[in-house]
Amino acid sequence: MIEFLDVSKTYRLKGVRKNILNGLTTRFPKGKNIGILGHNGAGKSTLMRLIAGAELPDSGRIKRNVKVSWPLGFGGGFAGKMTGIENVRFVARMYGEDTERMVEFVEDFSELGPSMTLPIQTYSSGMKARLAFGVSMAINFNCYLIDEITAVGDARFKRKCDKVFETKLKHANIIMISHSEATIKKLCDSACLLHDGELTMYDSVDEALAQHRKNQLK
Amino acid sequence: MENVITTQTRVIGALVLRETRTAFGDTQLGYLWAIVNPALSTLVLVLIFSSIGRSPAFGTSFALFFASGILPFQTYSKLSSSLMTAVSSSKGLLSYPLVKETDILVSKYILITLTYLMIIIVFFTMIIWGDGSPLPVRPEQCAAAFIFLTLLGFGAGTTNAVLFRLWPTWKQLESIISRPLFFLSGIFYVPSDFPTQIVRLLAWNPVLHGIEWFREGYYGNYDSIVLDKSYLLTCIVILLLVGLFGERLYRKKSI
Repeated sequence: MIEFLDVSKTYRLKGVRKNILNGLTTRFPKGKNIGILGHNGAGKSTLMRLIAGAELPDSGRIKRNVKVSWPLGFGGGFAGKMTGIENVRFVARMYGEDTERMVEFVEDFSELGPSMTLPIQTYSSGMKARLAFGVSMAINFNCYLIDEITAVGDARFKRKCDKVFETKLKHANIIMISHSEATIKKLCDSACLLHDGELTMYDSVDEALAQHRKNQLK
Repeated sequence: MENVITTQTRVIGALVLRETRTAFGDTQLGYLWAIVNPALSTLVLVLIFSSIGRSPAFGTSFALFFASGILPFQTYSKLSSSLMTAVSSSKGLLSYPLVKETDILVSKYILITLTYLMIIIVFFTMIIWGDGSPLPVRPEQCAAAFIFLTLLGFGAGTTNAVLFRLWPTWKQLESIISRPLFFLSGIFYVPSDFPTQIVRLLAWNPVLHGIEWFREGYYGNYDSIVLDKSYLLTCIVILLLVGLFGERLYRKKSI
């Protein structure tokens, strides 16, 4: 379970202030798959980084008592000069996983073949996403944070992702950001809406989606 | 939940290994370049100076005198400048919740310190073997001086990182400000030979104290009149406090 206690976060960049959260107190319950909705720039990705612990709040506390992944869907932590395999090994070492088992899993999952031995800077964005997805699926987290990653690769790879996901979701939960209503409906059983610095929890996904649509019409 | 120290040790270990690949990963010799490059450029300087017939300011071997100044100096300056941009140049890493800013700084510190330790060992072995120079008289003093210089570099580097974060222009200014240090640190002269007034000015430079300490340890009869270990230690403590406190204030606040 992840708990927010009076969490505030504001960005100040070149004189522009942007409120992401104003004293949010809430809990993301264990055993639920939660979708995060909000318009572009509302701060969904920041919220996700706060959940992950990749970023610190200005004030307040965030408690987690489950093993939370990093926000999936970026290749930002990969080093361009290192090969695919070296990047996998780095993450494995960091998380204390068996490096060779993890390399094997990722090689098999992401189907990058000989490209695994090439530096990442030669990869296309699709290839990077496959690698990133493979790496995160190789580690067993209690909670996977997914930031718009479901649109990776071709139809066949998507089916493969869905399948791994299904197995993972038997033992783990997700918190995800997606602009696709279909994806949210398919994977999540509750949702929250980030709007003007306030986060509202909804038990029903449909209700949240309806409010989200209404907000966007304003 | 796992023990915090175990986790951070593992993360730092992973970062050190990663750094050896990212710095020189695309060249054939890989990380060896990190050792070969400074060692060769120092060798070139030694050859140039000794070929124009400069006699050493102390001792009988110019190579030994020069190396005992420039290698500790380079250790300091490499740390000071690399740590300044270490975090900002690997921001992507911070997306992994396990990685803290201090881990990046510490891993870089470990790697640079070990690299320069290797360079120093290789270089001095070459000199002792090549021109029959003596072994260090008090190696433990050399080691202590080296460690203190790395800590000074760590303090300066983390302080630089804070200043750079608040004010990106600092990177340019720092390189201008620190350039004279090469001439002010007693690398190719003996500070004790200078008039008192000049010595008093030079004594403000903490790096000079580190180098004097190293030479005292190496030569045994060097007898520096400037060396003040407590001054060096004070500078280290102040820089570390500023650097680490600043890091604490600004960590992971904005990516």
